Amino acid sequence: MQDHRKLAALAARNPLPGVVRSRQTINRRELIAGIGAAAGVAALGCTPRDSQTSELSLLTWDAYADPRLVNLWREQTGGSLRYEIHVSDPTSVNRLRAGETAVWDFINLNNPWARKQLWPAGLIRDLPRERFEPLFEKMFEKFAPPYYWAMSESGEHLLGVVQRFETFDFVVNADVISPRTAKNEGWDLFNNNDLANRYGILAYEDWNVMDICMGAGIHPFADKSEQDFTAFEETATRWISNAKMITTDFAQLNLAIINRDIDAYFTGGTYSITSARLEGINNLYAITPDSGPADGKGGINWIELNSAVARPEPQAETLDFLEWITEPEPAWIIANGNGNLQPVSQMAQPEVLARFSKEQLAALQWDEFPERIANSVEFDIVPGYDRLYDIYASAMRARS
Amino acid sequence: MTSLPVALLLAAGFLAPIAIVAIYSIMPARTFVLTGSVTPENYVAAFTEGYWRPLMWSVSGALLTTILCLLLAWPTAKALKSLEGYRATFVTILIALPIFISESVRLFGFSLFLMPAGGILAGTMDAAFDVSIGSILNTRTAALLGMVYVHFPFVLFPLLLGLSQIPEEQREAARDLGASNWQLMREIDAPLAAPGALIGALFCFVLALGANAEMRILGGQSVTVITHAIEQRFNYAQDWPMGAALTMLVIAITALLVLPVFRRIDIDRLIRR
Repeated sequence: MQDHRKLAALAARNPLPGVVRSRQTINRRELIAGIGAAAGVAALGCTPRDSQTSELSLLTWDAYADPRLVNLWREQTGGSLRYEIHVSDPTSVNRLRAGETAVWDFINLNNPWARKQLWPAGLIRDLPRERFEPLFEKMFEKFAPPYYWAMSESGEHLLGVVQRFETFDFVVNADVISPRTAKNEGWDLFNNNDLANRYGILAYEDWNVMDICMGAGIHPFADKSEQDFTAFEETATRWISNAKMITTDFAQLNLAIINRDIDAYFTGGTYSITSARLEGINNLYAITPDSGPADGKGGINWIELNSAVARPEPQAETLDFLEWITEPEPAWIIANGNGNLQPVSQMAQPEVLARFSKEQLAALQWDEFPERIANSVEFDIVPGYDRLYDIYASAMRARS
Repeated sequence: MTSLPVALLLAAGFLAPIAIVAIYSIMPARTFVLTGSVTPENYVAAFTEGYWRPLMWSVSGALLTTILCLLLAWPTAKALKSLEGYRATFVTILIALPIFISESVRLFGFSLFLMPAGGILAGTMDAAFDVSIGSILNTRTAALLGMVYVHFPFVLFPLLLGLSQIPEEQREAARDLGASNWQLMREIDAPLAAPGALIGALFCFVLALGANAEMRILGGQSVTVITHAIEQRFNYAQDWPMGAALTMLVIAITALLVLPVFRRIDIDRLIRR
């Protein structure tokens, strides 16, 4: 009965309503309405942006779309923020490529995109190092400047500011699979036939590709041999065909665990379960393997980088915003952004850490956080990704 | 001359994007420019790399949805036609209202209904009747149910329009001549309501062919539909040319299936011009 109440509460309170809204594919009616609105605006001879007030446009993950952050920025600066939540990292990269650099001021993406794609394609601009590098000094030691992912390949240009970061591997029902066992077994858990048809896949597809590499015993961020591709194909086909459900909605997967429909899912982590854990559903448990094929590590650590889009007419407030979000109060809001609790690099400061309640830190499995980070490699571009992705997509198409 | 602005608007808003997609479809894979060397490789890949399977699921799913919607819409439309005054309005509003709610929200609601154990259906059966039932959530059946649920109004209302155009005198004359219910439906109702039914079926088929959310939210991605395969190419694969080639194929298949049907419909007659 208690489970039913929790289930009802969880269902009634989607932790990320904005994300769900933004993840839906635009339909024809919305498209027509958008074209109509754009035509109307064009007919009036003005741009959608009001040049009289300073409004920053954020293309971002959910945390920066928190109303408290928007209000605080307005209170403190008089400026306003408008935002759109990513559907996925690559979709937003596509949008900048397609000319939306004229629309957005700020973009927040996982670490490899800025250095490997956005900067070489001229889609973001660099930040003044003398102003922004001191911010890195107030973060955890691993971000000490010059931090690799925040710099261009040449090492000369600072491309963004680090904030949210965490590992993202898999989630188990701790009442069914002990976390200790799951950590020990690592990705082999999904190779175990006993789990066939008892797990789900959160279809964050680039992550799935990396996880399947781990499961096939391949370092996702190292060059691949033909043997590696063969091993990947075998694992991808098996894992995808053995999955009970595949969805882009982690709330569905969490509910499936609560309903005992599945016992685990990948890709997952505190990002996908803290909201539920804060509701008291502590059997949802984020696992980062103790070991794996990536230089002995099995976890993957994502780091979000906040960058200034290369707008043709950049606004000075963009840099102010990039600096402001690292202050304790905004950083705390971002860590709790839109009800989705995640660690931020500013938690290295006692003043920021002290703002988190005991329950919040428990929801974050904070006591294990250093261990999770230590057992992980940093998210990177996957060599051979195109071919691996094609194998993965082909296995998806064959799932029937 | 008066049609020139409309023609320009159509050219800019409809033909130009399709032309861009068509050009992308013949560019080298995983490139982002429209000026590369022309190649058929994406179309070759579309036929050789297993895309027939999602295409087959989409086409067969759309066909099945259309047939089921037609079967459900016929008695519903007849019943609605027989209602009068505020009762007809009330029932029509009940059916039409969900269209104004986001499709994703409706489908998430449906998934809560179908969920095992704590879901609305299974939970109620358990609590009220002490009966444990399984769940069809995350199966193709659930996705098909969702497709019918979402697309039903698109068939119902054109069919209702078609049925409402049948002169009552004609039906009465048929009855006076001794026609049975079956003959009445076969000789009078069906042929005269056919244009409405065809338009509804077209709406339904084309929308269902492009549907993706039902398989994602209710079907647990138990199969990949063609729109999902296209989305994958544009997004995670960062392969716009391949996505564009698949898009062109879907447009071509839709046109091949839909245009012959469209030719049989006399729009002027339907709207009594």
